[in-house]
Amino acid sequence: MLYDFLIQPFVDMATAPDFFLQVLWEGLVSGVLYALIALGFVLIFRSSRIFNFAQGIMVVFAALTLVGLHAMGVPAWIAVALTLAVMFVLAVTIERVVLRPLVGQPDIILFMATIGITLFLIGLGETIFGGENKVMISEELGIPTGDTVLEPWGGLLILQHLDITVVVVATLLVAGLLAFLNYTQMGRAIRALGDDHQAALSVGISLQTIWVLVWFIAGIIALVTGIAWGARAGVSFALEVIAYKALPVLMLGGLESITGAIVGGLMIGMLEKLFEIYWGQPFLGGNTETWFAFVLALIVLLFRPQGLFGERIIERV
Amino acid sequence: MKTITKLATAAVLGTTLGTAAVAQELYVPNLAYRTGPFAATGIPLMNGQADYFTMLNERDGGIGGLTVNAEECETGYSTEKGVECYEKTKGKAIVTQPWSTGITLQVLPKTNVDEIPILAPGYGFSPMADGTVFQWAFNMPAGYWDAASMIVQYLEEEGSLEGKKVAFLHLDHPYGKEPLPLLETLSENKGFELLPIPVGLKEMQNQSAQWLQIRRERPDYVVMWGWGAMNAGAITEAVKTKFPMENFIGVWWAGHDADLRLVGEDGKGYKSISWSFPNLEAPVMQDIREHVIDAGLSNTNPEESSGVFYSRGIVISAILAEGIRTAQEEYGTAEIDAAQLRWGLENINMTEERITELGLDGMVPPFSTSCANHTGHSGGWMLEWDGEQFVKVSDLMNANTDTYQDLISAKATEYADENAPWPTNEECSATN
Amino acid sequence: MLYRTAGQFKTSYTADQALFPVRQDAILLGVILVFAYLIFPLTASEFAFQTLLIPILIYALAAMGLNILTGYAGQLSLGTGAFMGVGAYACYKLITIFPWMNPIVAILLSGVFSAGVGVVFGIPSLRIKGFYLAIATLAAQFFLVWLFEKWAWLYNYNASGAIQVPNLDIFGLYVSGPQAASVTQYYLVLGVVTLMSILCINLTRGNLGRTWKATRDMDIAAELIGINLMRSKLVAFAISSYIVGVAGALYVFMWKGAAEPNVFDIPLSFQVLFIAIIGGLGSILGNYLGAILIVGLPVVLNLVPSALGLPISSAMVEHLNVMIVGGLIIFFLIVEPHGLAQLWRLIREKLIIWPFPH
Repeated sequence: MLYDFLIQPFVDMATAPDFFLQVLWEGLVSGVLYALIALGFVLIFRSSRIFNFAQGIMVVFAALTLVGLHAMGVPAWIAVALTLAVMFVLAVTIERVVLRPLVGQPDIILFMATIGITLFLIGLGETIFGGENKVMISEELGIPTGDTVLEPWGGLLILQHLDITVVVVATLLVAGLLAFLNYTQMGRAIRALGDDHQAALSVGISLQTIWVLVWFIAGIIALVTGIAWGARAGVSFALEVIAYKALPVLMLGGLESITGAIVGGLMIGMLEKLFEIYWGQPFLGGNTETWFAFVLALIVLLFRPQGLFGERIIERV
Repeated sequence: MKTITKLATAAVLGTTLGTAAVAQELYVPNLAYRTGPFAATGIPLMNGQADYFTMLNERDGGIGGLTVNAEECETGYSTEKGVECYEKTKGKAIVTQPWSTGITLQVLPKTNVDEIPILAPGYGFSPMADGTVFQWAFNMPAGYWDAASMIVQYLEEEGSLEGKKVAFLHLDHPYGKEPLPLLETLSENKGFELLPIPVGLKEMQNQSAQWLQIRRERPDYVVMWGWGAMNAGAITEAVKTKFPMENFIGVWWAGHDADLRLVGEDGKGYKSISWSFPNLEAPVMQDIREHVIDAGLSNTNPEESSGVFYSRGIVISAILAEGIRTAQEEYGTAEIDAAQLRWGLENINMTEERITELGLDGMVPPFSTSCANHTGHSGGWMLEWDGEQFVKVSDLMNANTDTYQDLISAKATEYADENAPWPTNEECSATN
Repeated sequence: MLYRTAGQFKTSYTADQALFPVRQDAILLGVILVFAYLIFPLTASEFAFQTLLIPILIYALAAMGLNILTGYAGQLSLGTGAFMGVGAYACYKLITIFPWMNPIVAILLSGVFSAGVGVVFGIPSLRIKGFYLAIATLAAQFFLVWLFEKWAWLYNYNASGAIQVPNLDIFGLYVSGPQAASVTQYYLVLGVVTLMSILCINLTRGNLGRTWKATRDMDIAAELIGINLMRSKLVAFAISSYIVGVAGALYVFMWKGAAEPNVFDIPLSFQVLFIAIIGGLGSILGNYLGAILIVGLPVVLNLVPSALGLPISSAMVEHLNVMIVGGLIIFFLIVEPHGLAQLWRLIREKLIIWPFPH
């Protein structure tokens, strides 16, 4: 029994390395997407201490808007531009209507407000677009569809071109974002706000502008994530649940850390897949992916209460 | 004070609604779901159901001279809302259509006390077939165990299942677990290995782990009990992992055109057992086009209305209408009550002739119900996706109901015992 | 006017600290109790019982449990739904293993199991704080729901994987299952909820309550003045989970009649959290107000279009409903972040000094 649980899975990995690689690859792709959603969370949390639960529904909302606009006859790339405009309007509205009146409230109140936003957007999205499952306009956006079959060690490794594109685009997006945060004035303002609110305000950084900006960036990330997930599994409100997957990523990586979101996302994506395939399915009846990431993050937190890359929590009386 | 006024208004509102006078109409509410994660599959069904009744109202002025009020109550597939809708509508409803296995399980014991027929066509609880125990519950024309039996039969036609491996990909939910007892028995009898693979509600859109397992285990066939977003997810993953589509068979709820349209040509060969078929040439479809769709009374669109699910909605409403008609003839009144409708539903006789009369040619197999048999066991056709639409690839198949008749009675009795005192139908002398 | 305190003099400290320092409060409570115990049961329809009265009470109880933990002891939890599930499954197992057991005893006992599970998942709170803890409680949420699904013993190897409430009686009167009358169930729920409310009021006003509040306001400071944090937090987890577990048992046995595991999934946790927060953290009254708003309002809203004869499809009503609830949550958070209980406190204050503005 102990052998089965502790040794056998590794033997399986070694004897079918092609399958092992496939599992890792699948994990990597989901991990990249988890990391993207987590990144949206982190940006907003850093600059405003808001734990933005609405990130998940923003993904759905962005994808629905894109598909909906295209269905109305708008050419694909113009629809993308218009969707970005919609996300910008959304960011401004949220800042004006919800965040500004709630400045200075306890964290939990702001968190609740984002759940309120989530419900509102679900209702709005269903009213406008209806609840049907929609097909992402992958072709029109030039997303490749085929696959590449590799045969390492005489085995089989299937790489979807879509997945490769997702990984590449996500990497570019993250690189662009990091460049933006590090080398532009706006980006540095966001980081300054994350480091010290008071100090940032006192050197003349506008809180309102930055908030709109981070929500808009979160909107862009949501759109990219929405296109990627939508191309994989269709666009519907069921996508919303993937937001939960970003939460353990945040715990593991640390709520403030951009590096943490990326590393945490990739780690969780791959580890949960490995655990499910080699331990979950044979011994625990499967579906361990629902909780594995949370339990893993919980264990890490017991040793590092601020996550792997989070800021040290210093408390003074 | 605020508290009280609020509660009081609510209570008053509740009372007035509960005791509203019975209008001169047949009130057949539908606990629909056009919102939530399962809406994608719910909407075409609900549109089909609604359009058939609208057509009857427009063409014949209802059934037996009374207009049909097929009001929808939105549940979003949530059991909580479902119970709310049931309580809200039960006052004057002559039937309740719960539309989810979860809601069915919750409403089932209540209907037995409230004495309202529960119509769950092709879903719900398989032992509901035993009409003597489940007096008020109907799931004609076929139940999940019929589906499992027919699928296994179909697979056997391609060669003995002895020593083969069949993966059972299912939603981890009462619905997905429903056929397990029968599949386990069949696997013992036929000598195939059954590999249940559950898909969690949160994993519906991301099934790569399940499909990796399928790739590792290399089953000969995959049988799917999926719903909502799960089907689209499974079919895209199957295409990705290059699982041979012709060895992939779904239950009737996993045969939605829109799910397959996602993959188009790549989905060619995917099969789904079904007790309904979209025969666009059938007279009833023409009538609906003429009286409902062209008159602008429908929510459907051309793509949807040629699909399997829309036509299934029509068949469901047609079965209910037939039950109403049977009851009206028996009792000589147009305004039937819940108990009379139950008699009607117990005495449906859908012969080939009757199906033609109703204009449902080729859309539903013949079946009949009795007080002991609430399912009808109509059998079904194997449908196959040809890249653009579903086509029939088998003759009418029939489930080997004999093999699990005992299982039905055993499970039904078990349910009745657990819920004792559970009134059963002592008068019924007919056997299945 | 209604709340004039003139003539009510306090002559001792005990009188000043009494539960009802103002006489009108006691009268108002009396009126509410009369309504709850006499008038509603006599007048309510089946629909009102099943969709308003019973669920509001049960949700209020669950929110009260959460409020002990989050509102008084300051530990944010998102796992309420799963702890309700523990209570429900424990009750189901108790009833099926010991069929002779009195259902009320079984319901009250089932809370003990959820209290135990609550303490286990509360242990991380000794090290993890704030949002990190909130997400950590999600581990409990997802793991427990998964366990309800996979551990077939819990649902007696039932093929559908759901639990079904049997007909149970106390001295020949059915209290649960399809044979039970709504009125009976209502009284039973009301009795349990009243009992738990009295318990909570006493706990939170006593020594334990003050310990919790100190922990909530600043746990390091609390530790420095000699409060045993471990004890304070774990007791909060235990009591909170006990109440939540009892609410869960009531939820399935007195209201739903059947449940599948995903009923206890995260939306339920959020629903309860909404009630606690909209009602007001750190308030017992708030739980009731919150439950009326969050549970009652959508039901009433659903009735509005048909009552007014508006030709809106029921799907559209549901969409609008979701939007309205979301909007209201934001609205109430902006208007009064401390919840409806605080709103009532302000109204009462105004009434006492009426007609003078200050």
